[in-house]
Amino acid sequence: MRALSWAYLALAYAFVFLPVVVLVVFSFQDGRLPVPPLRGFTLDWYAKVLADRKLMAALVNSLLVAALSSAVALVLGFLAAHALARVRLPGSALLRGVLIAPMTVSYLIIALGLLSLFNQIGIRPSLLAAGIGHVVINLPLCFAITYAAMGDHQKNAERAARDLGAPEWKVLALVSAPMLAAPLAAAFFLSVTFSWDEFIIAFLLTRFDVTLPVEIWSMLRSGLSPATNAVGSLVFLVSVTLVILLEILVFRRSK
Amino acid sequence: MAHIRLPATSLALLLMATPGLAQELNALVWCDHTDPALIEPFEQKFGVKVNLKEYEGTAAGLAILDQSRPGDWDVLVIDAVDVARAVAAGHLAELPADKLPTADFFPELVMAENNTVDGKTYAVTEKFGYNTISYDKTKVDPADMADMASLTSGKYDGRIGIYDYYLPVLGLVALGQGVNTADITADTLPALKDPLMALRKASKQVAEVVAAQTALATGEVDIVVGGGEWLTAVLAAENPNLDWTIPKQGALRWAQSIGVVAGTSQPDLALEFVNYIVSPEGQAALATSSCYWGMPANAKAGAALSDEAKAVLRWDEQPEFLARAQLYPIPDAALDTAMQDLWTEMLNQ
Amino acid sequence: MTLAARDRRLGWGLLAPALIWTAAFFILPFLAMVALSFASMDGRTVVHGFDPGNYVRIFTDWTMLKALINSLEITLVVTVVSVVLAWPLAAIIAFRVPARWQRLALLLAVLPFWTSYVVRSYSWLLVLGQNGVVNKALLGLGVVAEPLQIVATRSATVIGFVHFFVMLLTLTIYANLIQLSPNYARAAQDLGANRWQVFAHVILPLTLPGVVTGAFLTFVLCIGDYITPQILGGNAELTLPQLIMLQLGRSGNFPLASALSVVLMAVVTLAYFAASRWLRLDRV
Repeated sequence: MRALSWAYLALAYAFVFLPVVVLVVFSFQDGRLPVPPLRGFTLDWYAKVLADRKLMAALVNSLLVAALSSAVALVLGFLAAHALARVRLPGSALLRGVLIAPMTVSYLIIALGLLSLFNQIGIRPSLLAAGIGHVVINLPLCFAITYAAMGDHQKNAERAARDLGAPEWKVLALVSAPMLAAPLAAAFFLSVTFSWDEFIIAFLLTRFDVTLPVEIWSMLRSGLSPATNAVGSLVFLVSVTLVILLEILVFRRSK
Repeated sequence: MAHIRLPATSLALLLMATPGLAQELNALVWCDHTDPALIEPFEQKFGVKVNLKEYEGTAAGLAILDQSRPGDWDVLVIDAVDVARAVAAGHLAELPADKLPTADFFPELVMAENNTVDGKTYAVTEKFGYNTISYDKTKVDPADMADMASLTSGKYDGRIGIYDYYLPVLGLVALGQGVNTADITADTLPALKDPLMALRKASKQVAEVVAAQTALATGEVDIVVGGGEWLTAVLAAENPNLDWTIPKQGALRWAQSIGVVAGTSQPDLALEFVNYIVSPEGQAALATSSCYWGMPANAKAGAALSDEAKAVLRWDEQPEFLARAQLYPIPDAALDTAMQDLWTEMLNQ
Repeated sequence: MTLAARDRRLGWGLLAPALIWTAAFFILPFLAMVALSFASMDGRTVVHGFDPGNYVRIFTDWTMLKALINSLEITLVVTVVSVVLAWPLAAIIAFRVPARWQRLALLLAVLPFWTSYVVRSYSWLLVLGQNGVVNKALLGLGVVAEPLQIVATRSATVIGFVHFFVMLLTLTIYANLIQLSPNYARAAQDLGANRWQVFAHVILPLTLPGVVTGAFLTFVLCIGDYITPQILGGNAELTLPQLIMLQLGRSGNFPLASALSVVLMAVVTLAYFAASRWLRLDRV
């Protein structure tokens, strides 16, 4: 039984890592086609990718959209969670439901809805439009994570601060937020990774300035190439660094 | 707080790294125009930034223009046979015909009947090629490829890929039935359904450009219907066994035109861009674009192309090919919808 | 002003930004889309009005209906297979791997999650191809004589999806398992239950919320996805999102695309009600 468990674990990891390993290995392919046989080792594709102006612009766009949309989602989600966790409001179950609702809807529907709304009121596709869409998908996430983390422990500290005469914004900024630093950071970084990797909303709502996944998609459409492997490997490297940072900075500290 | 300041600082850096405002040209194009090797020389010469947006299929391109405001777009690349559609919708501005180098073009590629409406020139041909049959010559009998009927003979079942674009493939199917592409109408279309479905049945997949390339290059399929130099040229260096031919029933000639969008706020710059694209230098870069290759419309581009590139493009065989290929079908809105519906039905059969 | 009234005003004030955002950019767009789904096309222009024609077409045109059926079949298979594969993985990490290594084991299990989503489908294309690593290995081992045709079939789509969702489900199920007190199992054993009974009657039911939450997310993300079937399925058949994108990208038929999206939304809503009893979305 024990041996069987380890065997299953090994197989599962093999399955999970197979496409990543193949992706990375063939990004070094010395040849035009990222399929076996391996013809040799080269870093040319990385050089080509790093010199690609459009790709680098898309990377910067992605980082901007991810950081800004996540920040907005986090602030809105945190304020709403605070209101619903601390104040007894009529219909609070319904309100929670409304805020969570976008999580239960396919991104394609959110994208199409925004596209038809923006078309009708004359907002042109842009990074801003895509960012608005990303806030819509990340707001429920930020709300749910911070709402779940708000316990009675902070409630007492907040009350104490209020009794000492602190205005509500000060209570929020100086008491509640620092006490919730770990879940807030977790929500922020999760939002960043979702936004960073999101395709369909960014695809339908941007025009010239696009995000990285959209740029990768058009690379893919324009030919099979180890350069695509190289971009994928770089993105993986960036994301994994982010995850490890999060792990070290946030979760280690919270223990 | 340190880890909060960090993103803020990097954000500021990112903002500063965003380039300042240069004059910008907005072009609605096909993917071959997005190659930096084509665009950068123009940007440097005129000190402008060219914004490129790709689109797929004339209907989608016209829909984008319909939803835009005057001045949003400066340049449009469009299927040569659809220029009249764009003109009818009021999307193209007249070009000064005397300033275009059409005298240097392959005569068949001036395409005045397509680029001109009521005596006014609205677009100029920039690139062309063929939608025909691509194959791996080590895996199929090249002699079979001279006859379209062999595709559905059973010999190549499960080894065929179909290029996922309804106009050229329906055109090829029509040629196979002895129907000229210009004669595809609501009346003749139903007769194409059975042969199309038979072709689908014999094939393994219906794939877009990259998937079709991948499939052919990796031996997933041995034949791509609708392919041509644009599909196999980029792979020629890697896999010299890939070839293409025009069967005895004929093939389709694709051609793309470029024009200035009506309502542009910078008509002079837009015209400069058009002229750059049809100049020998621009034509050579466009012909060997990283997205797909194709013959330049301007014959003078030959001087700017390497012998290898010309060999891959079959420069010397063009007179014969041009004589045997027909233009894309030019459907009206209703026929276009019917053709797309037939295509969707084929995809999901 | 009473304290309660002051509090309430404050509460609404804090809630307002999030509510307004959700109303303006989620509810309103959705209504706009529903309105558009009742418009029709005259040639290439959209005619607004109340025309249920798009819906009639979706449910009478076999091509459209087939896409819906394909999507449902693929999504159900993917959801079931992913749960069946992820449950033991989560359990092994939770019960067999020493506690101090569990976080690392979990992190490793979901690491490929962070390759770009588009790129991940593309690398499966390379892995599963006729000349891909999988076929090369199977041929080398003598398991098969001819390379398997995986790419451009439904299997490729399903494999690509399962890969992604096994990672997701492992997380949600693990989170659930780790909260179980070992006392439950011990108590059941003390009462004479064998291992299988402990599993079937104690542990499995207790992980139901984690399983259902993960399965519901799988359902939603899977049925609405365009990339995986488009890249891996090779157009061998159409799913609903592919059909929607065809209407948008090629035909410019926004009304029909909207109607198809409303149908997609309805399917997801049905799934939500089916799962709602065990759903813990605010505890993900």
